[in-house]
Amino acid sequence: MEPIIQVRDLTRDYKLIRKREGVKGGLIDLFRPRRKILRAVDQVSFDIQPGEMVGYIGANGAGKSTTIKMLTGILTPTSGQVTVGGLVPWRQRQQYTRNIGAVFGQRTQLWWDLAVVESFGLLKKIYEVDDDAYRRQMGTFNDLLGIDEFLHQPVRKLSLGQRMRCDLAAALLHEPRVLFLDEPTIGLDVVGKENVRKFLHEIRDQQGVTVILTTHDLGDIEKLCRRVIIIDKGKVHFDGELDTLRNRTGNPVRLTLELREPVSSATLKEMTGNLPVSWQAGEGLRHQGEFHRREVTGAEVIKVIVNACKVSELHLAEPAIEEIVARIYRDVQEGES
Amino acid sequence: MTGVTSVASLTPWHRSVLGTVVLYLHFVRLAFLKFLAYRLRYYTGVVSYTIFVTGHYYLYGALFASRVVEHGSMEGGNLIGGLTLTEMITYVAVSWIGRSFYFNNIHRDLSSMIEEGGISLQLIKPYHVQDVMMFEAVGESGFRLVMFSLPIMVVVVPLFDISGPPDSMLYLWTFLSFCLALVIYSQINFLLGCLAFHMKNIQGVLRAKMVAFDFLTGVILPFTFFPEWFQTIVAWLPFQGISYVPVTIYLGKRAGSDLVWALLIQLAWSVGLYLAGRLVWFISVRRVTVQGG
Repeated sequence: MEPIIQVRDLTRDYKLIRKREGVKGGLIDLFRPRRKILRAVDQVSFDIQPGEMVGYIGANGAGKSTTIKMLTGILTPTSGQVTVGGLVPWRQRQQYTRNIGAVFGQRTQLWWDLAVVESFGLLKKIYEVDDDAYRRQMGTFNDLLGIDEFLHQPVRKLSLGQRMRCDLAAALLHEPRVLFLDEPTIGLDVVGKENVRKFLHEIRDQQGVTVILTTHDLGDIEKLCRRVIIIDKGKVHFDGELDTLRNRTGNPVRLTLELREPVSSATLKEMTGNLPVSWQAGEGLRHQGEFHRREVTGAEVIKVIVNACKVSELHLAEPAIEEIVARIYRDVQEGES
Repeated sequence: MTGVTSVASLTPWHRSVLGTVVLYLHFVRLAFLKFLAYRLRYYTGVVSYTIFVTGHYYLYGALFASRVVEHGSMEGGNLIGGLTLTEMITYVAVSWIGRSFYFNNIHRDLSSMIEEGGISLQLIKPYHVQDVMMFEAVGESGFRLVMFSLPIMVVVVPLFDISGPPDSMLYLWTFLSFCLALVIYSQINFLLGCLAFHMKNIQGVLRAKMVAFDFLTGVILPFTFFPEWFQTIVAWLPFQGISYVPVTIYLGKRAGSDLVWALLIQLAWSVGLYLAGRLVWFISVRRVTVQGG
């Protein structure tokens, strides 16, 4: 199939002024500012097929938002090309924006002082959605998101979860072909996150919308995306299936133990002797170990430990997305040197 | 594989003319509703505008009285800057009533939108931000006319015995002139707001604007009070179209072709500033750096 989004060698520089210190430095800055060029996005290329849901991830300042801003046509790149469905986002802005939807998790696109339904009425006119399509879409949103109950409240009185549901509906009212989501679950509680994820799943299946999603939450990626693109310092470091990524980092799991009696890490190592668990060196009541799911299950490790010593608490954790990104990045650096 | 290209390409789209009219009228309506929700704020405004006019009433009363003492009679000294005391008071009252109508904060709204990054959400909508802001300003002024200018009139007109224009048709021309003033005022504000694309901090510029505007538009003093050279300069600037022109129309100082000419110049400035705004917006957005990311 022909990709709906094509990105080639996309690059964006920011000009920064490096401030000198002190009063004297400030005066010098006035006349001879030291300019520095920061390359936020560096030769990024990828293709996205229609109907795909892709996670675009990276640490803060990695260049995620800058990429999304160029894809949505807000920002003009320094060099490189983007076409979305044959259109160049920052050139044919009016035509292009009719076909896309976007949610920026930190900001609402709803009109703050107006009732939610007024915002939808306005969006209907902005995108020239006809009455039938409007009724159909609002019906779908109510079925999936239950927005009817707060449709007549002003936006400023909604909870974050309610607001996010409305924002998602607002971004999809005109049945866009491509949806950009920047941190759609940020600040939401577990139920809120689950609602958003379920909704996005349904919408993808029902309306075939292509989704690009940036997030800090690995849960979003796991529930929604089969493919991830990892960006760090402006460069693409990984582009592929989530499973491939897992295998590359070995899907490490971290086990934290609280014991009733102090033990040294050497003793723990002995206890789990034949299991592939690596323990952090230390004495006392608190210990941390790491193992890989493909080598050993959590249940096996826990069984051995619980049998061998007195455990008061234990906790299993998957690494945060930043950590995976950091690992990928470290791997790349090691590969280069 | 059939339909592959239709899958991967976006449908071309243009909003119909009717759709565009309906949309922008909707912005007018929403702005009206929004300000209606905050109407309490404007009751204090009625008081402060009235105090302003009152202050000027006594100031000019004293000024004209001192002239009379100097000249010994009303005959030689009853005109200052070409206006009688009654005209002077009318000038002040009408210009402040006008200001209560055309006033808006587009420059502040736009600059804070640019500084805080909210502009992103505007740029991903298929409309022109400039047009949206203009029509929202129309809605705001509609609200101001009903909830602000009218109450001020009700208080100020009987209080200072403000007389109507010499010809009742001039009511209509004055209103039309103030409507053009609204366009000029809004477009200048829009251009000022666009400065935020290029400057880190434009709060200083905006504060200077607040002071300079009331002078340059003629709200504070009629231009005839100023030296010749100042009058020549302001005649070539758009600001006189905001207050001085509509108020002098009301006073009957412009008749016949003078009146038509004044309105045409206002119209020309409206169109010119609108086009300038479009151009500046286009250039600014191309080199925009939205905060964050």
